[in-house]
Amino acid sequence: MTPPAASAAAPAVAARRFRVPGVVWASPIYAFLALFIIFPLWRLFVDAVSTEGGKFTLAFVADFASDSYYRRALFYSVLMASGTVVGCVVIGFLAAFLLVRYDFPGRRSFEYLTMLPMIMPPLVGIMGLVFILGRAGTVNVLLMDYLGLNRPINFIYGWHGVLLAMVLHNFPLITLSVVDGLSRLDASLEEAAEAMGSRGLRKILDIVIPLVTPGFISGAALVFILAFADFATPLVVGVQSLIASQAYLNIVQFVDRRLFKMGIVIGALMSLMAIVFLLVARRMVASREYAVLSYRAVERQPLRSVARVLAPAFFIVVLTLAFLPSLGVTLAAFGRAWSLTPFPTHFTLDHLNQVLHLTPTYVLNTLRFSAVALLIIVVVGVAIGFMLARTTLPALGLTDSIVTLTLALPGTAFGIAYIRAFHFPLPLLGIVLSQFWIIMALALAVRRMPYTVRATYASLLSLHRSMEESANSVGASGLRTFADITFPLIWRGVLAGALFSLMFVMQEASATILLFLPGWETMTVGIFTYYTSGTIGQAAALGFVLIVLCAAIMYALYRLTGARMGGLFGSGSG
Amino acid sequence: MRVRLDGVVKRFKTVEAMAGVSLTIDEGEFFTLLGPSGCGKTTTLRIIAGFYDPDEGAVFFDETRMTGVPPAERGIGIVFQNYALWPHMTVRENVAYGLRIQRVPEAEIARRAGATLEHVGLQGLENRTPGQLSGGQQQRVAVARALVLNPRVLLLDEPLSNLDAKVRSRLRSEIRRLQQDLRITTIYVTHDQEEALVLSDRIAVMDAGRILQIGTPIDLYERPESLFVADFIGTNNLVPGTVVEVAGGVAALKTPAGLLRGMAVGSIAPGGAAVVAIRPENLALDSSGTDVAMRGRVVLSQYLGSLVRYEVEAGEGVTLRVDVSDPKRHRLLSPGQEVTVGFRPSSAQVFPQESRG
Repeated sequence: MTPPAASAAAPAVAARRFRVPGVVWASPIYAFLALFIIFPLWRLFVDAVSTEGGKFTLAFVADFASDSYYRRALFYSVLMASGTVVGCVVIGFLAAFLLVRYDFPGRRSFEYLTMLPMIMPPLVGIMGLVFILGRAGTVNVLLMDYLGLNRPINFIYGWHGVLLAMVLHNFPLITLSVVDGLSRLDASLEEAAEAMGSRGLRKILDIVIPLVTPGFISGAALVFILAFADFATPLVVGVQSLIASQAYLNIVQFVDRRLFKMGIVIGALMSLMAIVFLLVARRMVASREYAVLSYRAVERQPLRSVARVLAPAFFIVVLTLAFLPSLGVTLAAFGRAWSLTPFPTHFTLDHLNQVLHLTPTYVLNTLRFSAVALLIIVVVGVAIGFMLARTTLPALGLTDSIVTLTLALPGTAFGIAYIRAFHFPLPLLGIVLSQFWIIMALALAVRRMPYTVRATYASLLSLHRSMEESANSVGASGLRTFADITFPLIWRGVLAGALFSLMFVMQEASATILLFLPGWETMTVGIFTYYTSGTIGQAAALGFVLIVLCAAIMYALYRLTGARMGGLFGSGSG
Repeated sequence: MRVRLDGVVKRFKTVEAMAGVSLTIDEGEFFTLLGPSGCGKTTTLRIIAGFYDPDEGAVFFDETRMTGVPPAERGIGIVFQNYALWPHMTVRENVAYGLRIQRVPEAEIARRAGATLEHVGLQGLENRTPGQLSGGQQQRVAVARALVLNPRVLLLDEPLSNLDAKVRSRLRSEIRRLQQDLRITTIYVTHDQEEALVLSDRIAVMDAGRILQIGTPIDLYERPESLFVADFIGTNNLVPGTVVEVAGGVAALKTPAGLLRGMAVGSIAPGGAAVVAIRPENLALDSSGTDVAMRGRVVLSQYLGSLVRYEVEAGEGVTLRVDVSDPKRHRLLSPGQEVTVGFRPSSAQVFPQESRG
């Protein structure tokens, strides 16, 4: 008996007739990963340990290490990122636990609303917070006008403001992972503990937390790196003494070669940290991931008395804080000459008109680059997801690691690596990529592709091979099987992943700020440059448009998947 | 310890999972709750364990009313269908966890956990995690974990349903032996009637939240009190018909296979719809010594070594299963052959047709 077509490598249809090895089909994918991920990273590391002339030296690394200012900045960054992780885990875990295990007024609405803070990139978030909580923001004006406060309270300028913006933006990542983990826990695991007298907090500490931890280790590592590598947010509130801000400031100045080199060293250091973090997280997850037969989810319990009020109160406080920035951005986007009053006294469409009609470059660039990036993401991402789930091609483990790495790689480091790697004519093609707009789309695509890869992989895994094989067995060709069986069952998952990628592409604000040349400014670049140069109204108007776009994507995601998107950040490989 | 349920009703939203269950389980007894899925057997077990409280009625352990007493204070040990082993703990940690919660001194924890693991034959595997064990071994860990606290009642919820046939029958004997060693009151939930017959001192057959019959395996097999039990326990040929006569406890039915007679069970009256139930081993292929005879044609013959099983078509829509033991003394029949099938009315039962919905 001949084996069914589906057991052949990669695209089964063609393979049957021509017997082209799968590796050949997959070679463009390998080449893509090598050129746009491995090569820039390698270049960054080489640059950090070589002279202008290309000689190996540790002088720059030593220089960096002996500079007490950088050492302190590094320390602050680690502290800030750790604080963000702790904040996100506490809020995220509590929110997930309440949502999955209990019933209280407004639970279903909160379930949806909790994911919403993700639509606002931290750069826009911190700007919005400044409008509300800043020195001349709504709250301080109200306090001074009505409570007779003499000096404004510093709610936001400094590390605590950065921390607030980071936590509010990132905690849903943890909530998603924990919700996913909790809903997959079989009720009997906890009942077995209860039958022995392990109840309440004891049970949660001994049984629940250890079992859901593997699910959010990856998420927590991701949050750490996001917070660690963000330079735009701290700079908005005047925090320069973080390592990522230093990297940015060093790279964008063209005066001092030493500082420029320091920027590269910092970029390499951040990449190294991301790699180490990823390996550690992966090891922790691998040694602790458990497959348990699940029969019965834990029953949701109605909350009573005080808890019934406290749970919604918790969500209202967190979500109000999370929505303050949107409010601030919206008010500033439509307010005219807003100063020294709690809210704008006059409203105008001028700012919106400015960014949408008079100089629509930012919006148009974002749309253009996002569209090209999305195309690249879908083509390459789905192919990689397919390779990982359905083939036995060589180096799949490595491919998987590289894809996951790009998710963890800080945008700042990524931007620096691209600047260094594509500043020279490419061999064979002779194109200097860093001077060609496609580099923006490429950088965006490569960084956010992992969501699509993961979603494709997960969808294909949940579609058992036997379904495709039984279609083959009744005579359907490979292509026919794909069209009739595979595609209808996976398109939702793949599309959800692609939309997630798209949303983060639009929000990307580190690599692009480093890479853009005049004429390529995206919305986030516009927000950053407008805001830091004092053109507040336009910055807010761009922020408003960005929020609206991301909200539309989020809405589409809800329609596709419901409030459960945890799988996209799921633990383990894939 | 004696476990008594008194008129227990448990509702989930509008569904009555238990519709007035009363039963008494004696000290040291191996008692099985048997029924199809959704019959309320697992709910009954969980009510006894204390994971739910009854909406009506009560559970008593000896003379103590248990309503409101949490599971941990009931002195029960429970084995779940999926074992519910904590995957982040080793075998030893799983077993020792309950002792640790009860603040038993470390030295005694080590001794008791070790002894229990040895009792279930798991010595040498103490430091493995559940993921590194086979299904059968996981099941033993679950039993050890349930026994280590010296419970007064052992509760088992379909503990063998995830195992393959060979392991299942071996563990079945082990569970029974362990229970007889410890003389512990044991309540066992299963949908597998063979498992129930092999293991139990007594069985309660449940359907739709009610107990239909409680009895020893022999009672249930030989003297089912309802059509449901007759059908659920073992194999039975069921032939529907109309009652034409009832005399001296024997009912005569007009069926597509002819006039059949059997012992009337329940309210059987002439003119009513009824079903006659005859077990395959009580049917004979020669009509000598039998009082009722049917003409039929062999449609299937299966040689099973210790017996031959025939399917015989005996009238419109009536296919009878006939088991002939001792095939050596029997000349095999082939499909298509005409035969006479006979039985004694004393070995057949007539039940009123149940309206099931």
